[in-house]
Parts: sequence; structure tokens; C-alpha cells
Amino acid sequence: MSTINSGRRRGFGLKAAPWLFLAPFIVFFVVFLIAPIVTAVITSMYSVQRSGLGFGDGNQVVFVGLANYVQALNNTEFIESFGRVLAFGIVQVPVMLGLSLTLALIFDSAAIRAKRFFQLSVFLPYAVPTVVAALLWGFMYQPSVSPIVSALGWVGISPDFLAPGTVLWSIANVAIWAVTGVNMIILFASLQTVPRDMYEAARLDGAGELRMALRIKVPMIAPALLLTLLFSIIGTLQLFNEPMTMRSVTSNVTSSYTPNMSIFSATTLAGDRYLGSAMAIILALVTFALSVLVSIFSNRRGGQR
Amino acid sequence: MTASPLKTRTGLIAGAAALALFAGACTPDTPTGDQPVTLQFWGWVPGLEEAVAEWNEANPHIQVDFFRMTGDDGDSVPAAIDSGTAPDIVQMSVHSIPGHLINNRLHDLTDYVADLEDEFTPSSWGSVVYADSVFAIPQDSGPTALMYREDIFEEHDIEVPTTWEEYIQAGRDLQAADPELYIGQFSPNEMGFWLQQVWQNGGSYFGIEGDAWTVNVADEASMEVAEVWQTLLDEELVRVVEMWTPEFWSAVNNGSIASIHYAAWFPVLLEDSSEQTAGNWRVAPSPTFGDEPSAGDTGGSVNVIPTSSDNIEPAVEFLTWLNTSADGVSYLIDGGVFPSALSALEDPNLLAQEEYFGGQVINEVFSDAAELVPADWVDGPSYDLMSDDLSDAFAQVANGGLTFEEALLRVQDRNVNELRNLGLDVVE
Repeated sequence: MSTINSGRRRGFGLKAAPWLFLAPFIVFFVVFLIAPIVTAVITSMYSVQRSGLGFGDGNQVVFVGLANYVQALNNTEFIESFGRVLAFGIVQVPVMLGLSLTLALIFDSAAIRAKRFFQLSVFLPYAVPTVVAALLWGFMYQPSVSPIVSALGWVGISPDFLAPGTVLWSIANVAIWAVTGVNMIILFASLQTVPRDMYEAARLDGAGELRMALRIKVPMIAPALLLTLLFSIIGTLQLFNEPMTMRSVTSNVTSSYTPNMSIFSATTLAGDRYLGSAMAIILALVTFALSVLVSIFSNRRGGQR
Repeated sequence: MTASPLKTRTGLIAGAAALALFAGACTPDTPTGDQPVTLQFWGWVPGLEEAVAEWNEANPHIQVDFFRMTGDDGDSVPAAIDSGTAPDIVQMSVHSIPGHLINNRLHDLTDYVADLEDEFTPSSWGSVVYADSVFAIPQDSGPTALMYREDIFEEHDIEVPTTWEEYIQAGRDLQAADPELYIGQFSPNEMGFWLQQVWQNGGSYFGIEGDAWTVNVADEASMEVAEVWQTLLDEELVRVVEMWTPEFWSAVNNGSIASIHYAAWFPVLLEDSSEQTAGNWRVAPSPTFGDEPSAGDTGGSVNVIPTSSDNIEPAVEFLTWLNTSADGVSYLIDGGVFPSALSALEDPNLLAQEEYFGGQVINEVFSDAAELVPADWVDGPSYDLMSDDLSDAFAQVANGGLTFEEALLRVQDRNVNELRNLGLDVVE
């Protein structure tokens, strides 16, 4: 009896152990990721039915199917906000990643002194909260208090960083300033994993630093580049803090400037979390689709080479 | 996205059941008896802790537990009420009332506060009444006046304007004297300037007709305000600058903005942010649209009792003391807000000389204004959204892309749609 018992107990222990170790992850995964998504999907298919002035307790929450999605897709400002962040991303992401890659390659090439100091300097803006960064830059953009504007005025240029046509790029500048450093670190770390004997071989074949960077280093860190590209695309679609903060400095950043601001407006200002949920799910789907597209595109190109 | 609709519905049913049980258990008018109650009170007026301490000392049966709201605490109020964890009393902007009403979040206080109407300025009381029911107790308000730089007006020999026509002319004279001088500012991000003037002219953003809402943001009164501002903007008599920005304060400090027409809560902020212009400012009554004296209001804050609370009677008792008694109101005045109670308008603490304004008793002007503010302002359920819509549209007006009239018509259309999207009836 006792042997069977102990055998059983051991069997149970073996089965339970992995689950026990996984439990914390599963609990957090379910509570903080799966549950909110399910809740949002359910919420997005309901709406409050009111009548007259809407006073009293006659309101009913009713199932409306996809009506909220139809309403969201008919909202021109919500759709326009996607176009805006797309334009933003097409410019900001390549510029930012180009800068990050260039800096990572320079730091890796051993041609620079005080490497640690400069790396830290480039990384430092990432440690500044985005709201604070936007406030700081907001200061730099206002003509009568900005050292930048007065310096440019000295050489005869009087830019308006907050005009309707320029403010998007002023925000892009803040984003580039903030995240170039962290992407540089990811790319730089990836460069450290490239076997050093490859460089030696390349040097023996007579390759210079530039040729080595373009022909060996960049292809070797392609996976890291894809990762940073995906994160940047997702970050662009989720743009919120910078434009929201910039809005306190200029009304040319409208209340539905980015998809997330539209969602905030519908949920918090208009008090319609049902419509807000539908909009949030549309944003999630677009982000997902774009991420998949980019990875398929990158894989195919990688395969052809 | 706090609860699924299913949960909300069961919550509602449970709430309704509990209410029915409560109603069955005792008649609504039964006093709480000897059982002391503790009221939770969320508010933000500075110094309310002391007011509450005095009240608690004198009223062992109704104890108040005060929580100071800071930052985004106001954003958590809707969720707190819906989940039944809200306090018994909440301070909120007067403009937020209807947004809560369409979600059944506020108790109808009509039967408890009938005798309070005469205690408040007509405009303060008018803005807490919807379809003949009272949903809040007024706390403070923002009657308007013209703060102007006496030194600049004197230097250029310009009379203080008493009508909006004279205001425009004063703007022209200032520009003629010095192209760097503006009579005021236009700030698309600060809708209080617009709202107060529409209110002064007897207009309103929204209205109620029978059992339906009306959107009045482009009504005749608003169009008259639009005409004044279109002239000011077209002739470049006002400086276009966003309010509260370093750019704005720099314009105030260097004297390029000669006057600011704003509410009673603004002088203290002016004093804090523009020390170097101390002694140069004076306060005059608001310029008017006709010959009759009139004033606007930006709206202030109110105290409401969420539907999740069962302590209406003791809460009203405390709020009546806080917002109308000489004792209670003195704490509000010390806290730096402009009380809605009529009795406060003659309070010697309120009518003090202000050094910053050259020793003038500026609240005499604001007190007179408080009684002149029309009582027909009505807020609507999409107030926050409308403010943002106006901001967005006025930004385009500032850039020359729209006229004020076009902007108002656009905001009108959008908000009619918005109310319909909320399932409400709207008559046009």
C-alpha cells in the first residue's frame, strides 16, 4: 500500500510541478491580458439605450452587435487619425532607426573615445518620461521663450514649430529624441554577439570599416532590426503622451489627433466606453495586421537573398 | 473597461433590489435617529479640512470624513459611482452634471432643498436645476469682470471700455498707439473666455424643451459674440496665444496684453504668475452688449450626492451649512474660491483690499457681477466633448481656415449627432 501511495504522490508531484511554476505567469497573463481583451470585445458589442432627456434609471444596456464598429468606421476624424500616424511613422521610424543604427555602428567600430559616456548621453533621453519630454520640447517650440527660435532668428530664419502643417513633425522630433537611444542599445547589444573572427576574415580579404558594416554587421543583426522596427510601428500607432501634452501648448493638435486620442475622447470625454472599446479593438487589429505584414515582408526579403 | 455590460446589468438589478428592500424597510423620510452617520466627502477647495473639523466638533451625529481630490481623482468618480464605492458627497464642475444625469449617477435633491433657492445667486441656482429638478448644491462660481493695466490705459489716454463696441475701439486705439499692444488675447485652448460671454449675452450651449435636449451653441446670442470676436481677430486687435503657456505669461509680463476679461477665480492666478506687473492692474465691470449692466460667468463647482449613497438627508444638512451659513462660507472664502451664496457677497473677508490691484476692493466688482449673471445657462450631456470641439474649430479660426460663424455651425451639427448617438432625444 505504502509503495503505491508514494508512487502516486510522486506522479502527482511530477505533473503538478510545471503548473506550479507556471502558475504566476498564467494568472497574470489571464488577469491582465486575456481578461481585459475578452471584456473589451464583449463591451464593444453593447450600448446604452436611453430615451428623452436620459434622466432616471430607465437606461438599458443592450446588445447591438457590430453597430459600434460601424459607427467608429464612419467617424472621419478617427479614420483620419490613422492616416496621420501613418504619415508620422513613414518619416519618423526610418529616420529614428537610421540614427540608431548609425550610432550603434559607430560605437561598435571602436573608433570612438569615451564610448561609455557618449552611449549614456544618447540613452539618457529615454529615461525622461514622455510627458516631461513633450513639455520640455513644448518650451523650445514657443517663439518668445525658446532659445532655438531666437538663435534661428539671429540668422534670419523664423520658424513656426507649432503651425498646423509643422506640429506633426515637431512631435516626431520629440519621439526621435526620446527613443533613438534605446533602439541604439538594442542594436549595439546585438552587434556584440557577432563572432569577432568574421571581422578578422573580412579584414584579411581587404574590407574597410564601412564595407564591413554594410556587408557583415547590418545583415548579421537583421533580426534585431526587425524587432526594433516592429516596436517602433506599434509605438507609432499607440502615439498618445506626446501629442496630448503638446495640445496644452497648441490647439493645432486636435482632440482626435491620433487613434488613441480619439479613443480617449470617446471613452473619457463622451463617456461612451462601448464605442471606445470598439475603437480600441479596431486599433489593435490594425496594429496586428501591420506587424504581421512587416514581418512577412522582411522574411521574404531575407529568404531571397 | 472596468466591468462587462453583463456585470453592470446584474449590478443594476442588485442595486435596484437593494433599493426596493431599503424602501420597504423604512419610509424615506425617517430621520436617522440616534445612530450617528459618517459621510464620505471628496472635494478640493483649500482648507476644507478645517471646515469639516469645525462641523464634526458641533455635530456628533453627522460626522464628515474629508478626502482631498488631487490630479486625476475626478476621473475616477464615474467608475466609483457605478461600482457603488463612491463617497456620499462629491465636488465637481457645474458643467459635469448632465453627463452624470444621463447615467443615473446623481440623486434628485428637489424634495430636500426646496427652501435653499433664495440662499444662492440666481445664476448659480439656475445651473443646478434641470427640468424643474435640483441635482446639486452650488458651491462656488466665476462671475466676470475686466482686469486691465491702468498704467497702459493711462499712458495712451484710453478710457476703460463699458460696452463691447468700446472694447473694440479701445483695441484699435491701443494698436494705433503701439502695434505691440493688444486689448486682449484669443486662446483657442481656453473656452472659458467664450462661454462666459455667451452666458453674459443670455445664450447657452444647450437647452431643454419638454422631454428633449436642444443644442444652442450657434444661437443668436452666440452669433453676436462671434461678431465681436471676428472683428477683434480680423483687425488683429487681440494677440493669438494659447492660455497658461510660458508664451502667454511672457506676453502678460511684458505688457503686450493690456486687459484680461475673465472670472473671479483668475486674479489670484494672475498675482501668482505675474509678480512684476503688481500694482498696475485694476478691475472694472464687464463690457456689455447693450446699455444695461450685465456680467457673464465661467461656471464654478457644485456638491452632488451620488446615487450610490443612502445618506441624502444628513449630507444635505452638512452641505447647507458649508455652502450657505456665514461660518461655512468663510472657509470657502479663505480657500480662495468665490462662493455662490448670496450672504457671502457682503462678507467683509471677501471684500478685502487687494494690494496687487493697487489697494482696490476688487471683489466689490465681482460681487456686483455675481448678481447680474443671467440665470438661463443650461449645460448638456456632451459638454466636455463640445468644449474640445470648440477648441479644435477655434484653432482653425485662429489660422484663418474658418470664420467663427462656420466654426459654431460645425460644432452645432456634431453635438446634435453626439447626443443622438448617446440615445437622447434632440429637437432642432
